[in-house]
Amino acid sequence: MKLYQVVAKDIIRRKRRVLYATLGVVIGTMTVVGILTIALAGQERIYGQLEKYGANLTVIPAISNIDMELGNLSLGAVTVGENYIPEDKLPEIRQIADGKIKEALHIQTEGDIATLAPKLYMNTELNGTSVTVVGVDPPEERKIKTWWRIQEGEYLEHTDQALVGAVAAQLLKLNVEDRVTLNGSDITITGILEETGSNDDYQVFIPIETLQQAFAKEGIISSIDIRALCNACPVEVIADAINQNIPGVRAVAVKQVVATEMGMMEKTNNFMLALAGVTLIVGGFGVVNTMMTSIHERIKDFGIMRAVGASRKQIIKALIYEAIIIGIAGGILGYGAGTLLAYAIGPLIFEGTTINYVPQYFPLSLVLAMSIAIVATLYPAFRATKIRVADSFRSL
Amino acid sequence: MLEVKEITKIYGQGTTAVVALNNVSFQVNRGDFIAIMGPSGSGKSTLLNVISGLDRLSSGEVILDRERIDTLDEDALVDIRRGKISYIFQQYHLLPSLTALENVLLPLTFSGVQGQDGKALDLLQRVGLGKRTGHKPSQLSGGEQQRVAIARALANDPLLTLADEPTGNMDRKTGKEILDLFEQLNKEGHTIIMVTHNPKAAERAKEIIVLQDGQIVDRINQKGRRQ
Repeated sequence: MKLYQVVAKDIIRRKRRVLYATLGVVIGTMTVVGILTIALAGQERIYGQLEKYGANLTVIPAISNIDMELGNLSLGAVTVGENYIPEDKLPEIRQIADGKIKEALHIQTEGDIATLAPKLYMNTELNGTSVTVVGVDPPEERKIKTWWRIQEGEYLEHTDQALVGAVAAQLLKLNVEDRVTLNGSDITITGILEETGSNDDYQVFIPIETLQQAFAKEGIISSIDIRALCNACPVEVIADAINQNIPGVRAVAVKQVVATEMGMMEKTNNFMLALAGVTLIVGGFGVVNTMMTSIHERIKDFGIMRAVGASRKQIIKALIYEAIIIGIAGGILGYGAGTLLAYAIGPLIFEGTTINYVPQYFPLSLVLAMSIAIVATLYPAFRATKIRVADSFRSL
Repeated sequence: MLEVKEITKIYGQGTTAVVALNNVSFQVNRGDFIAIMGPSGSGKSTLLNVISGLDRLSSGEVILDRERIDTLDEDALVDIRRGKISYIFQQYHLLPSLTALENVLLPLTFSGVQGQDGKALDLLQRVGLGKRTGHKPSQLSGGEQQRVAIARALANDPLLTLADEPTGNMDRKTGKEILDLFEQLNKEGHTIIMVTHNPKAAERAKEIIVLQDGQIVDRINQKGRRQ
């Protein structure tokens, strides 16, 4: 018979007590694994967005909001400035974007490099429901929205066609081949997009000239999306150059938006990790307390063991074996519970985040749980072995 | 083999000091079966505790097998308990999670000896529990538990076995069976010191040391009388 077998038999006899001690370890581990899993999911979402939109800039009309206040009372805001960009600014913007890219990458080629997708937004009614119709340049828009997938039908090819977002198609009860009238112009639905999780789902896309003609907005656009050639392209530099050289517009690099979002996320993550640390410490004290009780009530057993020849080291070893078993059980349960916790509360903390379980956290969880259990055991274990054998019998 | 030289044990200090043992000396030879008798508070349990190193002396010496053991530290006492001295208690003190066989194997486990199941089974056979080796203490009667404890006390082949009121928790019949077993083991060569307040139990020993107020007041050699 080996020492670990003695420990195992004792644990089997005291299953409930051991389970109770394990629970404390589970709570600590669960919190850490849960928070780490949520934090990772949040980060991955932002990295994913950066990858998708990282090379992009958006140019919008330079409008400023002036807050109207009376003393401390806010009366809302008034918008100052043009709501549209003249279409003839497009070549100028292209020149700046291409110029900066060529400069950064040291290339001399003639011709267009960046993709410029102008847009015109109109709020109107289709089939009696109000909807945002977006006028786009079909080939350019396709290059920018690389993630678009057509659910049904085809992409825009002719001026009298429309592409409908997934949700808009449901709300407006539109199907491929349906014909609608848009401010007097006849339009055929040519395709329906798959869901993208963005505003695109709620919009209807038609060629920009058609929309301009239908609403007499020839020569003006609402915004321009620019996709630089590569993820490493100097989008911030391009944005600055546009802002400095072209009056009446404002260029924003998506990277800047992501960086801000990332900073906020990091703060949230740090806060959560601090919270996890506190939980771990509090949980740790709980486990120390449980182990103290659990060891104290077995003082007599340790007295017996020592009376029949166990050394202090062997008693401590036996208790550490027990702690390892508690740690393994706590690590497995803590990983499971932490992952479930992440699935449950992750979407509440970072909206729209998909949580995935992280296998790499499993060994981490085991190590963490074992460390808590072993550290919590050491002090009571040393104390238990300081008691003289004769006293350990007397105390009961 | 065991020499107890002028040992004194005082609990407490100053005016509240209690003298538990006062200048006690005696010798134990291999093959002896000695009963230490006396009323409650006479110091007999204290004597057993200081002999076994469970308690410290105030003065005097305890020499086992030519080695002073009263001054040993806890780590050195571990070696004494792994082969020189074993204990049998009034409360049996078996581990509840282990079977009879496993309880007997426990001293061997701590000594680092493996694969001695055969020896443990033999010992259980000798104490008359050959058929109950797989039972847990809770499934055994008091007499049976004490037999397991006796088998356990023999597992490491000790020089000396100390028994503290081994029949104190038993009815007369069971107690007699346990004492029969002690007698049989002594005949086989085991050295036993047994503390008891029961004269019937003490009579089974070869020699009786009578303690009163921490002093030896009488020594009765029964070898002649019993044969």
